[in-house]
Amino acid sequence: MDHLGVVLGGVPTTLLVTATCFGVGAVLGLVLVTGRRSGSVVVRGLSRTIIDLLRGIPPIVFLFIVFFGIGSGAIRLSPFVAAVIGLGLISAAHLAEIYRGSLLAVHRGQFEAAQALGLGRVTTYTRVVGPQAVRVAIPGMVTWAISLLKDSALVSTIGVAEIMSVTNQDARSSGSSLTPFVIAAAIYIALGSPLAYLSRYLERKLSLKGAR
Amino acid sequence: MSTSLINDWGEWLPRLWDGLLVSLQVTGLSLVLGFVIGLGFALLSSAGSGLVRWPAILLVEIGRGMPALVMLQLVYFGLPGVGITFDAFPATVVALTLTTAAYTSEIIRAGLRAVPAGELEAADALGLSHVDAMRFVVIPQGLRIALPTLMGFAILIFQVSALAYSLGLPELLGQAYSIGAATFRYLDVLVLAGLLYLAITIPASWLVDRLERRLSKHLG
Amino acid sequence: MTEPLTSPARPILSIEGLSKQFGDHTAVDDVSLDVRPGEVVAIIGPSGSGKSTLLRCINLLESPTTGRITVGGIPTEVDGKVSQRELVALRRKVGMVFQSFNLFPHLTVLRNISLPQERVLGRSRAEADARSMALLEQVGLASKASSHPPRCSGGQQQRVAIARALALDPSVMLFDEPTSALDPELGLEVLSVMRQLADEGMTMIVVTHEIHFASDVADRLIVMADGRIIEQGDPKTVIDDPQVERTRTFLSAIRDR
Repeated sequence: MDHLGVVLGGVPTTLLVTATCFGVGAVLGLVLVTGRRSGSVVVRGLSRTIIDLLRGIPPIVFLFIVFFGIGSGAIRLSPFVAAVIGLGLISAAHLAEIYRGSLLAVHRGQFEAAQALGLGRVTTYTRVVGPQAVRVAIPGMVTWAISLLKDSALVSTIGVAEIMSVTNQDARSSGSSLTPFVIAAAIYIALGSPLAYLSRYLERKLSLKGAR
Repeated sequence: MSTSLINDWGEWLPRLWDGLLVSLQVTGLSLVLGFVIGLGFALLSSAGSGLVRWPAILLVEIGRGMPALVMLQLVYFGLPGVGITFDAFPATVVALTLTTAAYTSEIIRAGLRAVPAGELEAADALGLSHVDAMRFVVIPQGLRIALPTLMGFAILIFQVSALAYSLGLPELLGQAYSIGAATFRYLDVLVLAGLLYLAITIPASWLVDRLERRLSKHLG
Repeated sequence: MTEPLTSPARPILSIEGLSKQFGDHTAVDDVSLDVRPGEVVAIIGPSGSGKSTLLRCINLLESPTTGRITVGGIPTEVDGKVSQRELVALRRKVGMVFQSFNLFPHLTVLRNISLPQERVLGRSRAEADARSMALLEQVGLASKASSHPPRCSGGQQQRVAIARALALDPSVMLFDEPTSALDPELGLEVLSVMRQLADEGMTMIVVTHEIHFASDVADRLIVMADGRIIEQGDPKTVIDDPQVERTRTFLSAIRDR
């Protein structure tokens, strides 16, 4: 039996789910972090609550709420769309926290200097603080991408035909049940380790450059 | 409608509560066992000899690199293929223990490395043996440095325990899912289950935040 | 302090032909030095002159490339591999005080001083604690015994570090820029403890930038540059009338600061 071929067949979908959720999360995360730093107490409190809820609930439970809870009622959601909404929103919350941490890492003096120079709020963020914060945020973002790659295995439970899902089918239909799982583990590790290496490399390189 | 929802929640709550207890049991057991193994691996993977270090690092990377869901299903559905069969509860504990061991090993190793080199030099200069320096200087401080991250990880493993529903373990999500399947009220029961998870994870992460701030003040 | 097996005439510490290479760079270049019991030797020199490396070679925190170190009449050849037993034997006789104190922050001040006595010398806890308290008394910090180091000022931490090293009854004390990390007024309290120690007859080697301390307390001043001893002698003579041009430049540079 060609277990490897079967399991590899799930790779494109795994990558697609991971990349799409990451993209959705990266953009919505910006919205959430803007809310988290808003001048209005209500917006700030609301953003914080959303982030805490999304980070506090197990991803699989949130995925089930989206797919079985919401997506099977009045609105019909395909497994893929439910997966993207579920893991995309969770990513948004985690990435918002990573963005926030990196903004906090930029020295207060930078904001004060920008203000003293008469730069507006938008210019301060896009030209002064943003570029410095991105440098701090990137290793954390890559680390989140690795977590997301592994969490994408969860969407097998709602019927998206990615690695875990084809592995399960293969294990059930073939006599040997250990091999497909071992192959799946190896593939996840193979997909994740370049990212892990990249994260470590960037962390070293960016922290050296950022040092005074 | 809202009174009927509350009535239904009241009716479901005892079963979900039983599920929550199972979730907490597998989480607690896996954390304790995994932490002990993780500490061992942290020491092995900081060993001076490459012959000891590299195999340890490799195993840790494998454990961290595979999704917890793969680990769970490998243990429960995969190992019977080579004649090792577990019930859902021990299978969950075995899988989560291995995952915990891999992650905590890396967290503890980072903690050990964060102990300032000057203190090791001082231990050397005082004539303390390597074992004594590890035991009295490096390990106590490394664990303290690692503590907030370890607690954050404990919250994560509690969340991950929900995946054990896929082995048929009657933990919190498993209970909620079967109530949902019986009543077709998926949204209502899953939201209630979600709130129960949050009732644990949100206070726990506040605690971790507070601890982190207190420790950073002490050691700073 | 007790100094058995050593007559005053014989050096308590003897360094012969010690060199330390870091790759291509020679940090310490064939240095020889004899220190008499009770002598206080101050070492000065520009940064990168190898003075700290020399000090760190004496208790083998850095392993020298070549040379021989003799403490209390027992020689250690450092050309080849030094055995673990030789290493511990040597370090037991040599106390070290670091620029950054290096106290163990998770232990109380008392435990910092007692733990090494228990583990290295095998003293009982009661014995060790009694000795620790006596030393804390001596450095004026008995009231801090149950505090943790991060709660102490830098000057206090350094005095504890001195007590910790003294508790192992070393024959020689090494000080690696002990006041460089301290504000001047906190440095003074450390220097006064060191002065008291010198008066009691402790053998000391002090790498320092404190030219006043060197001139007042030291019996001998050594000037290092490029890993070598370029000048040595009576501190006041060296400071007032340096014979070597580089000593003159260095002294005027630190005076101008």
